[in-house]
Amino acid sequence: MKGKLQQQLFCQYKTVDENEGKAARLQRMIKKYLGNHAYRAVFYALLSDEPEKGTAVFRTIQEARRIPDSRKIMDHLGNPDVAEVFAMSRSVANEAHLYEEFIRFRELADGILFSEITPKSQVLVCIADHFADRFPLENWVIYDKTHKMFLLHRKQAEWALVTGTPLNRRTADRISESEKTYSELWKEFFESISISERENPVYQRTHLPLRYRNDMTEFSDQT
Amino acid sequence: MQGTIQEKMTLNEKLHILSDAAKYDAACTSSGVDRRGDGTGMGNCSAAGICHSFSADGRCISLLKILFTNECIYDCKYCVNRSSNDVVRTSFTPEEVCTLTMEFYRRNYIEGLFLSSGILRSPDYTMELIYAALYRLRKVCNFQGYIHVKAIPGADPRLIQMTGYLADRMSVNVELPTAESLRLLAPHKSRKNILAPMRLVQNQINENKQEIRLYRNAPRFVPAGQSTQMIIGATPETDYQILHTAESLYKKFDLKRVFYSAFVPVNRDCALPVLKDNKPPLLREHRLYQADWLLRFYHFEADELLDENNPNFNVLLDPKCCWALNHLDLFPIEVNSADYMLLLRVPGIGCKSAGRIVKARKMGNLQFEDLKKMGVVLKRALYFITCGGKMMYPVRIEEDYIMRCLLNTKERLPEGADGMTYRQLSLFDDVNFGGVNGISNRFIYVQIRLQVFVQLCMMLGWKTGTAMQESA
Ligand code: SF4
Repeated sequence: MKGKLQQQLFCQYKTVDENEGKAARLQRMIKKYLGNHAYRAVFYALLSDEPEKGTAVFRTIQEARRIPDSRKIMDHLGNPDVAEVFAMSRSVANEAHLYEEFIRFRELADGILFSEITPKSQVLVCIADHFADRFPLENWVIYDKTHKMFLLHRKQAEWALVTGTPLNRRTADRISESEKTYSELWKEFFESISISERENPVYQRTHLPLRYRNDMTEFSDQT
Repeated sequence: MQGTIQEKMTLNEKLHILSDAAKYDAACTSSGVDRRGDGTGMGNCSAAGICHSFSADGRCISLLKILFTNECIYDCKYCVNRSSNDVVRTSFTPEEVCTLTMEFYRRNYIEGLFLSSGILRSPDYTMELIYAALYRLRKVCNFQGYIHVKAIPGADPRLIQMTGYLADRMSVNVELPTAESLRLLAPHKSRKNILAPMRLVQNQINENKQEIRLYRNAPRFVPAGQSTQMIIGATPETDYQILHTAESLYKKFDLKRVFYSAFVPVNRDCALPVLKDNKPPLLREHRLYQADWLLRFYHFEADELLDENNPNFNVLLDPKCCWALNHLDLFPIEVNSADYMLLLRVPGIGCKSAGRIVKARKMGNLQFEDLKKMGVVLKRALYFITCGGKMMYPVRIEEDYIMRCLLNTKERLPEGADGMTYRQLSLFDDVNFGGVNGISNRFIYVQIRLQVFVQLCMMLGWKTGTAMQESA
């Protein structure tokens, strides 16, 4: 599954035929010659929604071949393309990290934990391992509304990415009986834990930008 | 006078009371331990810590922060739960604590549990209840997320030890910066009593490290280390005293963190100070955190930042800028060759960017634009560095001038401190205006004098024509 995803990604900038062999080879080459660190940077950069990501990555790899120690390419921030890849990968990683924090699950009638998010970049693949490790015994689904992609995890199984299937709104909104109890307890806690003498909406907004709040239990009006 | 003990209360009401009473504890982090799940339960831990939300006061919510009970036999003057307060009292059961933690965690609301408590009946009895809750959470529910728990001073060391094997972090709050203050405000507590469990946890952590070296699978004791907290502004200590206390706690007890909690008056008591406008000293707390950061990650010593003659932090400039202004003879430094430790001391250069600079300069000479990309805040750093022997702009290396420039670069400050005018600053009671740690302060004085003048005019009703008409 992971291999497949990388193939799609690399095909976004390589105008070669979609071919698993080529993609896997390219992946191996990057890992071998540029090292895992650079591979991760390139991988994350390609999940970004920047239109020029392909060019920057391509030029970075060219630059890597030019310098004496290719594995140090990501330290070479003086080069504008490397800096661009660095910036994109950092912004994707940051967004992914924020979603590890801000994702909220609700329990559906069949016991599945369901979450929907509205990310700028394709973060699902970055956060999959984190949640799979955290909730190995749960069936859970994260739906990326921006890219219309699902991250599925079946109890005690590997995670998988699914595209091309529409979301069934009715199922997604049918919550379990106890769900309301816990979301209300959480809202109660969220209110009472704040110290009114220290109220600071500016700080709150800096750390928790408004765009994340639409998908978060404690900021939703439904009870 | 103990408040009413409510037996029949909904979980919602209990949660309201017991989180409301726990919120004054500043420790919110879930950091210090990396632990993958083992596939048989729920949860894992990430060393950097994970925040899950931010409450209306802008503080991070990482853990379900609750008291086991708000009943208390002690009477600490600053605390809502003190025995002399007439408040509704309640307790969770261990089952309730577990249900809340598990159900919140499943929904990714929290990173784990922060369990503190008032003293119910006796320290031992309370510690037993806490142990029971943790035992159930770890062994019955198989919870592998983060647990921060309080060690109750005076409880049986064996109980504390057993609890520590279930927790990730333990803390005992020193509460106040000096033993003297503690005696005044917390008559049932003593410094000695508080430091004893702290030492116990420290020793046990060290022993445990040996065990783990021998048997890789030995159970872990408080793997994320211990922390503590001090209340700031309830007692007359200076920043210098507070920072010294913190430094020695770090050194003597290997603490991971010291938290500073700006005093919020919840009780009326003649032993407590009255705060201006009821505002907790947030700026002071902020400066202490900045200085604490400098101690822990930037290799500063408390004595470098403050001294007897300048015992309080500057309101206008952060401690690092103050230090740099006091040591202008060391600057400017050449970014392409300066020692890493010296780079760390430049305002505007952080640990990460200093690391990036050291790596990147091996690949070629760095320019100012490169520094920007590496996260250096140039508008602060530019007075202290050169790139290839040149400064970014022609700059006078002169205290007054640089200070004025730095004051113009807006620092992110906590609310209240942010929109604060010089007039308000000059009325700050806990601040001495003797100088920016010894720096001549003409500029600030001029500003303040102007403001005082404006203020006088206002008091005399000279503000505007309309104001005069109204009063007439
Ligand atoms: S021991 Fe003191 S600080 Fe702790 S709950 Fe009781 S009164 Fe409050």
